[in-house]
Amino acid sequence: MEHLINLRINGEPYEVRIKPNTTLVDFLRDKIGLTGTKKGCDTGQCGACTVLLDGKPINSCLVLAADTNGKEILTVEGLGRDGKLHPLQETFMQEGAVQCGYCTSGMLLSAKALLDENPSPGEEEVKKAIAGNLCRCTGYVRIVKAVLVAARKMGG
Amino acid sequence: MSEYSAIGKAIPRIDALEKITGQAIYGDDLKFPNMLYAKALRSEYAHARILNINIEKAKKLSGVKAVVTGKDTPFLGGEALMDYPFLAIDKVRYVGEAIAAVAAVDEETAEEAIELIEVEYDPLHVLLDPQKAMELGAPLIHEKMHTYQRLAVIKPIENTNICHVLQFLKGDVNHGFDESDFFFEDTFTTQMVQHGAIEPHMAIAQVDPSGKITVWVTNDSPHRLRQDLSSSMGIPLKKLRVISPPYVGGNFGGKGGLKVETLCIPLALKTDHKPVKMVLTREEVFTSSLVRHPGIVTLRTGVKKDGRIWAREAKVIYDTGAYAEKGPTVCHQACVAAVGPYKIPNVKVDGYCVYTNKPIAGAYRGYGIPQVAWAHESQMDIIARQLGIDPVQIRLKNGVEEGDVSPTGQQKLNSVGLKECIKKVAESVDWSRPKEKYRGQGIACAFKNTKTPSGSSAIVIVSQDGTVEVLASTVEIGQGSKTILAQMVAEELGVPVENIIMAIPDTDITPFDASTTSSRSTFHMGNAVKKAAKDAKDQILVIAADMLNADSSDLMIERGLIFSKKNPSKKLTISQVIKNEYKAGLDIIGRNSFYPVADGETGGMWSAPSIFWMYGAHYAEVEVDIETGRVKILKVVGAHDVGKAINPFTCLGQIEGGMVHGIGPALFEEMIIGERGQVENTSFLDYKMPRSLDIPEITSIIVEAHHREGPWGAKGIGEMTVVPMAAAIANAIDDAVGVRIKDLPITPDKILRVLKEKGNP
Repeated sequence: MEHLINLRINGEPYEVRIKPNTTLVDFLRDKIGLTGTKKGCDTGQCGACTVLLDGKPINSCLVLAADTNGKEILTVEGLGRDGKLHPLQETFMQEGAVQCGYCTSGMLLSAKALLDENPSPGEEEVKKAIAGNLCRCTGYVRIVKAVLVAARKMGG
Repeated sequence: MSEYSAIGKAIPRIDALEKITGQAIYGDDLKFPNMLYAKALRSEYAHARILNINIEKAKKLSGVKAVVTGKDTPFLGGEALMDYPFLAIDKVRYVGEAIAAVAAVDEETAEEAIELIEVEYDPLHVLLDPQKAMELGAPLIHEKMHTYQRLAVIKPIENTNICHVLQFLKGDVNHGFDESDFFFEDTFTTQMVQHGAIEPHMAIAQVDPSGKITVWVTNDSPHRLRQDLSSSMGIPLKKLRVISPPYVGGNFGGKGGLKVETLCIPLALKTDHKPVKMVLTREEVFTSSLVRHPGIVTLRTGVKKDGRIWAREAKVIYDTGAYAEKGPTVCHQACVAAVGPYKIPNVKVDGYCVYTNKPIAGAYRGYGIPQVAWAHESQMDIIARQLGIDPVQIRLKNGVEEGDVSPTGQQKLNSVGLKECIKKVAESVDWSRPKEKYRGQGIACAFKNTKTPSGSSAIVIVSQDGTVEVLASTVEIGQGSKTILAQMVAEELGVPVENIIMAIPDTDITPFDASTTSSRSTFHMGNAVKKAAKDAKDQILVIAADMLNADSSDLMIERGLIFSKKNPSKKLTISQVIKNEYKAGLDIIGRNSFYPVADGETGGMWSAPSIFWMYGAHYAEVEVDIETGRVKILKVVGAHDVGKAINPFTCLGQIEGGMVHGIGPALFEEMIIGERGQVENTSFLDYKMPRSLDIPEITSIIVEAHHREGPWGAKGIGEMTVVPMAAAIANAIDDAVGVRIKDLPITPDKILRVLKEKGNP
């Protein structure tokens, strides 16, 4: 028994039939083809699959796609607008916040949710905002810095 | 003032744009038509005979396309010792070992089929303690160990569970003890930890009508994997193609060797050319991929009263779990470094690599050296304290220098930045400041070798518009190899980095490389691409010399423009040169290889002399809460000798990341093994890795002790950055509250226990 849902992903409207047990991460990756959202644990503990659901960061492996009817989803593919990178994407690149890149999408979205709420966060606030996103490569140093620099650039 | 145009520059990584836009493709993103999905049935027993496997019900389930067991895979593989069955044959040796695998139209069906497979076991005695497992008369985990094929350097002891034993001798250690004024004996242990790459392991296998097997796999070494599959399955290399996904989401040693493809290939051989994909669950990564060796290291050390280490004996026992994997060579490499980076006249090292019924241990960032460095650097501070010598001074007094003989005596060392690392770290902090209550400072240093000999080949293709494609099999695992190899080719060829394309490793296309391991890519593949770029450049300059009426030896290329040093006003582009010579179109192809052999006594591959050694020192500053035993790390500093930083930006990123990686196993990471041999904590909730809130203030420092054979003097860095962390933290804790912990991780309860014994609260 499939459900018909209507939702917006990265600003685009979608009307899709899905199985009731499909998680949002599998829906985004397998059905919509947005593979920028990564799967690291499938149990909500690594944060690699973080996307924004109505502006709030969530682990998309813990949410059923069927429950996103009428909602707005933002994934890494929708971060930049009109061919321009989001300031967070720019600073992640310039500050060396990316190594293997597997946590990067989730990190960017957790950071965006923070800056949307709090345009000029302190270092501790940034660390708290990404505390649910595991990274084994960078030691977080440059990720934290990239978020702080982006906040400044965005006028926070 | 830079004399270089591309190397030595802190440019952003060339792969960052793909990664920040979500466009970078990883293994799990690959999807092919008619793809089948695989799941494995895994052993619930740590040691048992398999009496019967019934797969009939699973085969009949609608949507199931193939079911395989050990009967279908009469193969043994493994790099050091060929003991590893693709699927369990006759017995299981650890909880989580694959017994059967299913390929079905989707994952759910494959899972359902797995539930339908029935296995009858006859449980055997379970060995979890390596010291008991290595006793004579212990039940054998591998009854036929003596029949396994192995590398020449590997020495198993027949009728025991010891799969490799080794010894290094220099001077006369007993005589050295007699001549010493002080004697120390301590045993240091390390726990089982895991690599923790955020991307789980995966593979896709497909068999074409000619029988050729193609594998897409998150493996750090496509050519080595092809060779391993060829030798274990008894098929020629031409029947095997290993392709790396464009990106691998973290490795740290965990993605080498035979892994998921050993399940996908047997299934793919039965599915009418349909590709079979398998991605491990996080639980499977914990139980059934790879771990770091739990180690028991005993150091007996004789010291002169002026602080000179005069004799040191090390006994190193590494618990390699159910299969050898790279365990024997991990143990071997660790033993070469077990007495520390010090000038010690009398040395004896005994190493034992031992089977137990636990998850398989193998390569892990540092290749066995974190465990021995934990021991020698902890004991160094015990010695310093007893003799009343400053911990920095005792290391400077004993540390190796340029031209010294290596501690186990095989070779003379070149490019030795040890003391500079120690000094830079001490200078960057207020080392000798007055002590504050419950706060402490600690320092530790270490060195690490690289596997020697090993080879890399590379091809550099210069196209007609000046685009340069580099064919190299180094895998981009997050370390930044794409960026630094492109920088090196750009430097040698005199073109902008933007002109360079790095090919994706594919054994049908990119030439041989031993492995993306052992911190060897900058040095080995760096030299290979540099030499290949020079080959291409020389060909271009010969053509240009004609066009410029000059001698090719007077020509140079800068920013893609060719000119004579004697008449720099007349310039040609690379494109003009190629098009002039080959009007109908052709590429200029440069190629070369690098296969360095270290001077010194050698017993063949993996034996001892290393073509380069990396050196580093770490500092930690901690505050200990004596009520709770909790340790707060306030600050860490790391200085590492990289020979020459090809990209200072990525070097600093490695040092920062490595130090934080090192904090986990020092303070809280530990895989808990239950009585039945099962891993108790198989999630990131129960297995704690450092998170953003755990990180202290971090300073990273680059030291450059030029290596005469390195590309522009460069060596490696990746593994060393975790190595001295645990001991630096332990030494700081001892400085803070006088508590010396010798078994990792340093948990609050261990600290409280010692504080209580000492009569504190």
